[in-house]
Parts: sequence; structure tokens; C-alpha cells
Amino acid sequence: MNLEALVDCLSSASCAVTQVSTGLIVGMLLFLVTSGLSLIFGVLGIINFTHGAFYMLGAYLAFTAYALSGSFLLAMVAGAAGVGLFGILFERFVMSRVYGRDILMQLLVCYAMILILDDGVKILYGGEYRMMGMPDVFALPPVEIAGGFVPGYYLFMVAVALAAGLVLWLGINRTRLGKIVRALAINPQMVGALGINTTLLYAGVFGLGSLLAGLAGALAAPIRTLTPGMGVSILIESFIVTVIGGMGSIAGAFLAALLIGFTRAFGAIGFPLFVDGLMFALMALVLVVKPSGLLGREAA
Amino acid sequence: MLRVEHLSKSFGGVRATKDVSIDFPAGSLTAIIGPNGAGKTTFFNLISGHVRPDEGRVLFDGADIVGLSSLEVVRRGMARAFQVAALFPSLTVREALTAAVVSHRRGSARVLSRFPVPEAVRRADAIMEMLGLGPKAEILSANLSHGDQKLLDIGLALAMEPKVLLLDEPTAGMGPEERWRMIGKVHDLWRATGMTVLFIEHDMDIVFRIAQAIHVLKYGAVLARGTPDEIRRNQDVIDAYLGTDHRLSETVGEA
Amino acid sequence: MRAGLVRDLAAALAGLGLLIALPMLFPQPALRDFLIYFFAYGLMAMSLNLLVGLTGLVSFGHAAYFATGAYAFGLLMQSGLVPIPVAALAAVGGTALIALVVGAICVRLKEIYFSFITLAFQMFIHSIIVTWVGLTGGDQGLRGGIPRPPFLGLDLNDARVLYATCAVVFVLCILAMRQVSQSPFGYTLRMIRDNPARANFLGVDVTAMKLGIFVFAASMASVGGLILALFVSGAYPEFAFWTTSGEAIFMIMLGGMKLFLGPLVGTLLLQTLNHFVTIYTEHHGLVLGTVILVIVLGLRRGLADFLFDAIQARRARRAAALAAAAPAAFAPAPLDGRTV
Repeated sequence: MNLEALVDCLSSASCAVTQVSTGLIVGMLLFLVTSGLSLIFGVLGIINFTHGAFYMLGAYLAFTAYALSGSFLLAMVAGAAGVGLFGILFERFVMSRVYGRDILMQLLVCYAMILILDDGVKILYGGEYRMMGMPDVFALPPVEIAGGFVPGYYLFMVAVALAAGLVLWLGINRTRLGKIVRALAINPQMVGALGINTTLLYAGVFGLGSLLAGLAGALAAPIRTLTPGMGVSILIESFIVTVIGGMGSIAGAFLAALLIGFTRAFGAIGFPLFVDGLMFALMALVLVVKPSGLLGREAA
Repeated sequence: MLRVEHLSKSFGGVRATKDVSIDFPAGSLTAIIGPNGAGKTTFFNLISGHVRPDEGRVLFDGADIVGLSSLEVVRRGMARAFQVAALFPSLTVREALTAAVVSHRRGSARVLSRFPVPEAVRRADAIMEMLGLGPKAEILSANLSHGDQKLLDIGLALAMEPKVLLLDEPTAGMGPEERWRMIGKVHDLWRATGMTVLFIEHDMDIVFRIAQAIHVLKYGAVLARGTPDEIRRNQDVIDAYLGTDHRLSETVGEA
Repeated sequence: MRAGLVRDLAAALAGLGLLIALPMLFPQPALRDFLIYFFAYGLMAMSLNLLVGLTGLVSFGHAAYFATGAYAFGLLMQSGLVPIPVAALAAVGGTALIALVVGAICVRLKEIYFSFITLAFQMFIHSIIVTWVGLTGGDQGLRGGIPRPPFLGLDLNDARVLYATCAVVFVLCILAMRQVSQSPFGYTLRMIRDNPARANFLGVDVTAMKLGIFVFAASMASVGGLILALFVSGAYPEFAFWTTSGEAIFMIMLGGMKLFLGPLVGTLLLQTLNHFVTIYTEHHGLVLGTVILVIVLGLRRGLADFLFDAIQARRARRAAALAAAAPAAFAPAPLDGRTV
């Protein structure tokens, strides 16, 4: 516990700016992962426990694409689209076979998939840490804001995450396809009866959710060390975000992801050993006080 | 025994129950009728603590039970059976009834004795006897016929030794002959136990034949009330309800 | 019913006799080691099935209690302040307390929420173990060995005494779980599994009952953990890692959750599989993952469940014959009303 350091940091503009920017990118990554998780749950009614592994897969795909092509843009596309495609295949060939069956079976296939992905990555890339490195495009001096220095890449990440969130929100709430997807969540039989291919939609939604996890992984690749099993902690954190924000609410996920991001960033200074504890305390508080989450509808 | 006063409930903008006041004297057999969507099941949900009313009181044995959980309401002596039989598919008839009896006797948390406890089995067997489920004792609830499932649902409610029994369409989904058998059993049960029984029913012949008092709901409000004879002659009821639904159900029933 | 209890006691005695006799007939130490692992993980799987199979609570965080049992026991023994039985009881009691707190938050949640919040709490406990290096040894695990001072004339440093003691504890725990599952409480849990709303309308305090079995199952898992800690003379963060919970779930599925001892069959199968996989390849995850996919998507149910379904079908036929008057209309309601 080091409250003095926390107060010091908060009262110094440069430290505060640095921590805010750290909190922002942690929050944005979490937001991307959680919105994918939430989207899949909202429409298909299942929790994709492999979501963390998809995040890892996105990071490694970006890593490989960048190493092969040297193009940052290609790395992002490979991470996001690659995982999106993988998600579709996973949904079609594995997940769809356990719909309507015991939750136990859904948990087991996800568990199996995580084991396979983690081990697969370990076989291909080795068990040690990997670094993708900062692309040349972003090899710029950090931007100075109120005495604090923020890497240009951070600003880029926040912009991409915000744009993705906005597109997702508009897509769901303002387009015809979004309307169909929302109807699918409530009454799949009816949507099927209208002659819409629900199988395709399910796969598409699962793919889109996976793509968001892959995008988050790709965005994280330049600033995080890559290791097999790196998906577990972000999966758990996105569970926490889901609970705090409220299942199925994109706005709630956004709010809660920021909350957790800042908790991590400032907690790391104030009580470095108790950051996880703080997040769990927040989650427990929400579960006790408002089980449906900050912005969730009655459901939990 | 049971009295509701000015009961109201809205869901969103829909007023499912509007200022309903009814008195159910001890030992009475009362039918609640009304066209589809009249708010009959909602009315039961409000009484049994499943849904909390926006306004009004539910007096059970003189005490207001609004705000009590369904668990507390059951423990005070009001049990209900459901429109779609709510059972325990993997338990046999005897196991389910025995477990219900155990629960009623506050034995659910006991870990040192063995299930089934003999005293509870005796009571369960008596209930099966009363409902004619004896020969089906060892059948899994999931494998019962529709009629037997409805009977078992009532049996589960009876295990609570209720003072007031709410039956939500005991004859739902049955053929004409089965309906009469079912309602005959309900009638026998009422006479044998002296409980206060409320039931929701669609079949007018049945209602007029066995109910002592009838309350007609329409759009969530009480449209009429009285003895079967009075209801039969009530012009409002005939216009609003019997005029269309009754003939329809008669022709369907006889087809 | 007295007869049931007597039968279970007899079965337990016979089982214990078999477990004691096995290492005498085949005196290789490897078998004894294998069986002690089997006791530890078997208790975890059996206790998890009290939640999954009996109550319908699919916990993905059960290994947390396995680990707290191991760590609490190990730490208490290392302190050198208490004899083994006291440390064991305190470890189980401490785990029960933790489970009470976590359970109080979790048991109100519906299905899938319950699964992932229990997993989240498990990873929290894992992160405490890894972070609190001063107490737990962090990544390296609880080092320095766990002392086994003799008590009541038993010297657990003798491998045979250790084995026999573990076997007795194991059988006693299985017997306790059997008693719970056959008690009125056990049948109340079956009601909750089948139809919690209806159970509530029959006067069952669903939340309290779920919490009760959650705490009991956690306590039983902690006994498994402390057996393992005692045997390997240490405790490791992997005990609390999510994969350990995943394996426990797979054990249940593999053995089947309808038969009381099914999870033990699963434990045996998975342990054998692990044993050979570890010998032939280092890609344990890849092989295990593939096996799980094949079994879940191919077989679709546990091995012991095949047996159970056969017994059930026979029982149903007999009952139907008894109820000659029963109408032929057979309208089985789906056992599992969940839809996607």
C-alpha cells in the first residue's frame, strides 16, 4: 500500500497524464474484447470462453504478418480478419454442435479449444516471450500533454478502438442488418420463418465477435510481450467488465472497461500488490448491489 | 380467509390488473374466468407473491402479505399449481411428492437421515391415493401422461397442506372427457379437505357445474361476480364473453 | 432408510479393503503414487459433481478450493505449531469460510454467470498465490517441504502408512458425500436442479440450499488438495490454475454425472491418459484438447452414463408394467429445458 505515491502522482500533471493514457489503452483493449464477448452472448446466448485465446491468436497473427511483410496495416488486418475467420470456422464446426446442450459441454469444448490454441502457439513460436516491436510509422517522439508524454501509438489505439465501438453501435442500432441481429437475439424462430438464413447469421455474429478480440490482440501486439496463455488474464478481466457494465450493453462495457483500465493504471501506483483484489472488490460490490450491472437490463 | 383489496398491476404501459377487490370466504370454491388476456394468471401471480402489485392489499388470514416472497407465502399456507405443470422431471412421482412433504416440514436441510423419510413417504402415499396416482408411484415425472402431470402438480401443492389452493387451469390441454375426470377430482379434493380453492377455467360447463362463486375478469378488471345462475343471466358477461368465446369453445369441444 | 446406509457402509468397507490390498498385491511404488493422485483428484471431481450433477451448478472454479486446502495445510504444517489432524481440520474449515464468501456472491447468479464468476474468483485466488511471494513462494510454489510429524502413533513418513491414511480419509469423504446425496438435503438439491422456481414454490429456500452444497463441496475438494500437498510435500500455483478446474469438469463428463461414482471412473481414465501422454509427448494440451473434442462431439456423454441410461430404461419398463392402467400417451418433457 503506497497511498503517498498515488497522491503524488495525482497531483503531478505529468504523472497523471501518463497514468491516464495507460488506463485508457488498457480500457480500450478490454472494451474491444468485452464487446465481442457481449455481442456473442447477446445473440447466441453462450459465453465464449475461448475469447481470451482469440485475443492471443490475434496478437500472434499480427506478429507473424508484420515479421513477414513489415507492413503494420497488414499486421492489423491479419490479426483481426484471421481471428474473425477462425471464429466462423470454430462456430460452424465445433460450437454449433453443442447449442442447446448442457452448459458443461459448451465449457468443455471451449476448454479443449484453449488448450489446443495455447499449445499450438507454443509449438509454432516456442514458449518464451516474443516482442513485435513498434512499427516505424509510429517511431515518433511522444506527444507532450501537460508535461506528460503520451506515445503516438497510444492515441492511434484509442482512436481505432473508439471507431470500432462506434461502428459496432451504429451497425447494431441503425442498420437493417443490426435490426435483424437484434431480432435474432429475441426470437430466432421468427427470424428463421421470415426466410433469413439464421445459421449464416449466427456464424457471422460469432465471427464478428471473434474479430473484435483479434483486433484487440493485434493492437496490443506492438506494446505487449506475447506469450502462450496470454489470453487468460484478459478473459477474466473482460468477465469482470461484463459484470460491472451489464451483460449485453455496449455502453456499459465501455464505461466498465474504462473503470477497470483506470483502476489498473492508478492501482499499480497506489497498491501494486492489490490491483487484482481491487478489481474483484469492484465486481463483488456490483454483484451485491446491482446484479444486472451498471447499465444492464434485468437479466442476471 | 383470503381477501384482495384494490389490487393493481401494470407491465410497461399495459394495465394487467385494475383495482380488483374480491373476498374468498374460508372453505369456498371459486372460479376465476375471463377471455384470453383478461389477467387471470397475473392475478394469481399477484396473490401468491410471485409478482408484487403496484397497489392494493392481499389479506391472508387477516394479515397483509403483499411484499412477502413466494417462499414466505407458501409457508403461510397458500400453494399453487401451474397452467403448464411444473414438475421435477428426473424424480419419480413418489420421490417428488416425498421431497415436497419434506420441504413443507422444514426438513430440506437435513443431511444425517436418509431419503425417503418414512413419515414423509406415508403422507406422499396418502396424496397419491387421494389423486389416484398410486399405480404411477415409481414412474419418472418426465414420463407421465399430460393428465397425470397436471395431477402431480396439484399433488405437489397439496404437500404444502395449504389453507388456500390456487389452481391455474387444471384442465388445460385436456380432451372433454379428461376434463370432467380432472375437475371431478378437484371437486372431491375440495370437499374432502375443506380448503379454500380458487381455480381458473375456460370451460363454462365445468365452471357452472361446480363453482360456488364466479368472478369474471376482463382487461384486468372485475366485470361481474356472483353465483353460476347469476353469471349465466348477466348480460355484460354474455355480451363480453359468452357471446363469442363460449360458442366457439363448445363447437371445438364437441368436434 | 437404514438399509441404504448399511449397504453404503458395506460398499465403503469393501472399497477400502480393495484399496489397501492393491499395493500389497502389486508392491511397485508407482501404483501407490498413482492411487494417491487418484484419491486427491478423485475427491475434487466427486465434490464438483455434487454441484454439477446433483444441483445443476456448473462451477468452473472448483480447483480454487483444492488449492486453498493444499496451501492452508502446507503453511500450517510449516509453521510447526500444530499436529497434522489439527492442520487438516483448520485447512478444511478455512476453505469452507472462503467458499462461504464466494458462494454467497455466486449462487444467486444464473447458469452461465455462475460458471464464469466462479472461474473469475478462482483466478483471483490464483493471482493472490502468485503475487504473495513472501507467504506462498509465488511461482515456485510452497518450497522447503511439508513436515509430517508423527501423530496418534502414525508416522506418515512411512510411505505405506501415508498411503493407508490417505485411503481411509478418501473413503470417509466419499461416504460423507454419498450420505449427503442420499439425504433429504440431497433430494432437495435434485429438485433445485430440475426446477428451481417450482422448488421455491414448494417452500425450498433455494439460495440457502445452493450455498450449503457449495460450501460442502468446496470442503471436500480441499481434502483432496491437502492429500496431494501431504504427498508431494508442497503446493503449487497450478493447483489453482483454471486448467485444473477444466480437468475436473472433463473427469465428470468422461465418467458421467448420473452415477454416483461416475466421476471416479473419469478421474481414473483421465489420469491414465495424462500418464501416457506425458510419457510420449510434451504437447499435453494439444493431445488432451483433441481428445476432449472427439469425446464431447463424438460420444456426447460420459461412459458411466451409458450404464446409467440402461439401468434407467429397465427401471422405466418395470414401472410402466406396474402401472398397467397408465395411459399409453407418453409425453416426456425434456430434462433440460434450456434453449439457446
